[in-house]
Amino acid sequence: MHHAHIDKFAYQDSVIHRLDSRVKFIAVLVFTAMVISLPRTSLSILACFAIGPFAVLVLGGIPLRFVFKQILLVSPFVLVLALSCPLYDRTPLTVAFGPFVWRGTLGWMRCFAILGKFVVTMLALIGLVSTTRFNDLLAGLQRLGVPKLLVIQLGFLYRYIFVLIDRAHHILQARAGRKLRNLGFKRELRTASAMVGSLFIRSIDTAEHINIAMQGRGFDGRWRSISKLQIRRADLLFALIAVSFMLVLYVFVKPVLQ
Amino acid sequence: MSKAIEIENFSYGYPDGTMALSEIKLSIEHGQKVVLIGPNGAGKSTLLLTMAGFIKGTGKVFVDGLEVNRKNLKNIRTCLGSCLENPDDQLFMPTLFDDVAFGPLNMRLDVEQVKKRVAEALQTVGLAAMADKAPHHLSAGQKRAAAIATILSMTPKIITLDEPDGSLDPRNRNNLINLLTGLTQTLIIATCNMNFAAAIANRAVLMDKGRIIADGDAKEIMSDFKLMSEHGLEVPTARD
Repeated sequence: MHHAHIDKFAYQDSVIHRLDSRVKFIAVLVFTAMVISLPRTSLSILACFAIGPFAVLVLGGIPLRFVFKQILLVSPFVLVLALSCPLYDRTPLTVAFGPFVWRGTLGWMRCFAILGKFVVTMLALIGLVSTTRFNDLLAGLQRLGVPKLLVIQLGFLYRYIFVLIDRAHHILQARAGRKLRNLGFKRELRTASAMVGSLFIRSIDTAEHINIAMQGRGFDGRWRSISKLQIRRADLLFALIAVSFMLVLYVFVKPVLQ
Repeated sequence: MSKAIEIENFSYGYPDGTMALSEIKLSIEHGQKVVLIGPNGAGKSTLLLTMAGFIKGTGKVFVDGLEVNRKNLKNIRTCLGSCLENPDDQLFMPTLFDDVAFGPLNMRLDVEQVKKRVAEALQTVGLAAMADKAPHHLSAGQKRAAAIATILSMTPKIITLDEPDGSLDPRNRNNLINLLTGLTQTLIIATCNMNFAAAIANRAVLMDKGRIIADGDAKEIMSDFKLMSEHGLEVPTARD
């Protein structure tokens, strides 16, 4: 079965794809922290920050249509949070942009700021995931000192989430094939809980089989891997550009646009 | 010279009292290609797990002369590679390279040796160009071949495979037959597909209800219509 893989462009080749995963990860982490710390009323500086991830996506050859589709997929969670702002903060506010004047409330301003920060940080995150193979990202995290157990868990999550989605899809198909009428809320709920239970039990079964496969190949509790990561000149150049870009915006441009 | 597998009066029962294996006596020489045939629930998979030391019962099991016990487990799992029924259970790493390297790394080989073994194993199964692929990007046939590569990279003397032909189309099944017949290791394969079994093995062990019913020449056993029918099996139709 084909899934909408979030990392489906990670196997391409470009200047950005060839960069060390650790450099990209740290850059995205710092970038996200900076964007989050921006004032809630400043939208123009957000637009300037968006230039960075946009450049990464373009240089990495990631189609923007794919990027916005991914953002839309996760947007409902943030939309609920952002759209609640105008309801509780109705302080009047006037914003002038050249000849245009907008009269609204502080709540709406915060709503736009949350959405703006969400889009800009998601651009950076998608830029990272779409230009870095997941195993390189895991190897990078391990080299950065993230606990091995957490890295292993992330690896298993990435490997088996698709297997689990397939199984859930098959169960849903089996239900749809035999569900000939509306069963009512209570029975639907009972069916849903049975389906979740079935998935859970099959997951335990899979976990036992994986344990056998691991032990059968000599696993003794110590995780061994071959790291292919290497910091090169291109990585240092990227780090320098990223740091300069963020510092210039944060130290010089932000005070002007605020 | 020690035998590849030697099982003496081995029995194993589930906690509810059902006997999964009863009084199993089996001896397999090095280099043999043996199929364990039998209906579902006959005990074939349980017997394969027993050989790899995952199941403890009464009786004795020897692998390459070593008794299957806690002390010998590491050596036994180095010389006996087990391939599970579902390749998704066998391929648990983010990339094919990592999966095939998992065993050799646990054998504490140096990095260059590990890389060499991975390259050789992937070459043998015809997946040399796919080392960096994630397992969920592989087709069913490729996953099956990749699962075998994870074992081959450990260069075991004995390989056990549980229903390796499951969910394969005829072309992939033929590729798998070619791959398995080309291997020099001792092969022990559990299967319900008699055509597949007939194409690979020279010896068949017929199991039912946890017991060995017949053991001998594969052609003779699988052409015995009465014996095969009694145990819910069919006579192969496309014999090579």
